[in-house]
Amino acid sequence: MNALAQLVTIAAVSLAAAGGTFLIKGPPQRALRCDPAAIQPDEVCLEQIPADAPVVWVDARPRADWEKNGLPGSVLWNLDPAEDAAAFEAAVAMKIAETPRAIVYCGDENCGVSRQVAARIRDIGMEADVSVLHGGWRALNEAGRIRNPSRNP
Amino acid sequence: MKTLSLVGILLTACLHAGGLEFAQTLREIHAPADVDKVAAEFEFTNRGDKPVRVVKYDAACSCMSVTIKDAKLKYAPGESGVIRAVFEMGNFSGTVDKVVALWLDEDPADKPSLTLTVRVHIPVLVSLEPKTLKWDLDGDASPQTIRITMNDAKPIRVTGVNSSSPAFKPELKTIEEGKIYELSVTPASIRTPGLGILRIETDSANAKHRLHQAFAVVRKPTPAEAAALKP
Repeated sequence: MNALAQLVTIAAVSLAAAGGTFLIKGPPQRALRCDPAAIQPDEVCLEQIPADAPVVWVDARPRADWEKNGLPGSVLWNLDPAEDAAAFEAAVAMKIAETPRAIVYCGDENCGVSRQVAARIRDIGMEADVSVLHGGWRALNEAGRIRNPSRNP
Repeated sequence: MKTLSLVGILLTACLHAGGLEFAQTLREIHAPADVDKVAAEFEFTNRGDKPVRVVKYDAACSCMSVTIKDAKLKYAPGESGVIRAVFEMGNFSGTVDKVVALWLDEDPADKPSLTLTVRVHIPVLVSLEPKTLKWDLDGDASPQTIRITMNDAKPIRVTGVNSSSPAFKPELKTIEEGKIYELSVTPASIRTPGLGILRIETDSANAKHRLHQAFAVVRKPTPAEAAALKP
């Protein structure tokens, strides 16, 4: 068997295996998954947070996104230079003085802003327990926690 | 068997071919305190054997804009390009990492091929230590102090201090004019929880260093603190 025939054979076997997997197990799972054992030490899975847990939710996305479909009850703190960072800091400080548990979310798992906002909340120095939500807003939306996911501002 | 192995190696190579090679994926910038923006450039070359297309790039922060030289998105083998990231310093200070994500051909929407990091070191001209003063509910009501240190060659003076709450009385003491100050804060009562925002104004020539804030809080000790207090 020459090299080309071998290549075709390998490709055909791979395609057959992929097709069989698709037929038996269905299409690829695209829903967000969060394994508490596999996430970063400063992250938390949404499944670990009961819906009624006392938490200060901090939205690190742009203001327009927060106004459009932020988690009800959340406060805004993003890194937009046009925003008043001192006002964000003061608002969150007031919240965590009462509820010393904060979880920051941004758009999805690729967004690094939430980690930087979490660092700023820790820098306030109130010893609040501050985490980053794995999967961000996408995780909240998939869990049905966003009341108006497509509402316009 | 040798032929089969060679085919396997070539197949593997093809899967990894076409990638962009960057001279650096981390650029560190030591920014002067008085600039508003800093820029970092990332040079790259297509070392693969097929064209590569940059489908999308995103800084995930409104504080950073990203452009590709000449708006060129497709690179033939051997071609080079430059990605330029401009970071707006805004109210950042200390060490800040900003990441640029790059999606190439066929990358899934949630998995960019590459991430580039711009690490900016921004001088902290006015430092407050600590940032928050804490009193335990029904604990010791003694005054506590925030040390204000100016880290600039030119003097920066504290021109005013005010508290958002009458429950916390601030008193400023000059240790070295333009360099070091101490802000003593006394709680009016520690029988009820409360938070005060202490606003500290300076005469810094740089507008973003003219207003700083610290916090004073009376609250229940955290479980860890309560445990540490027990004999």
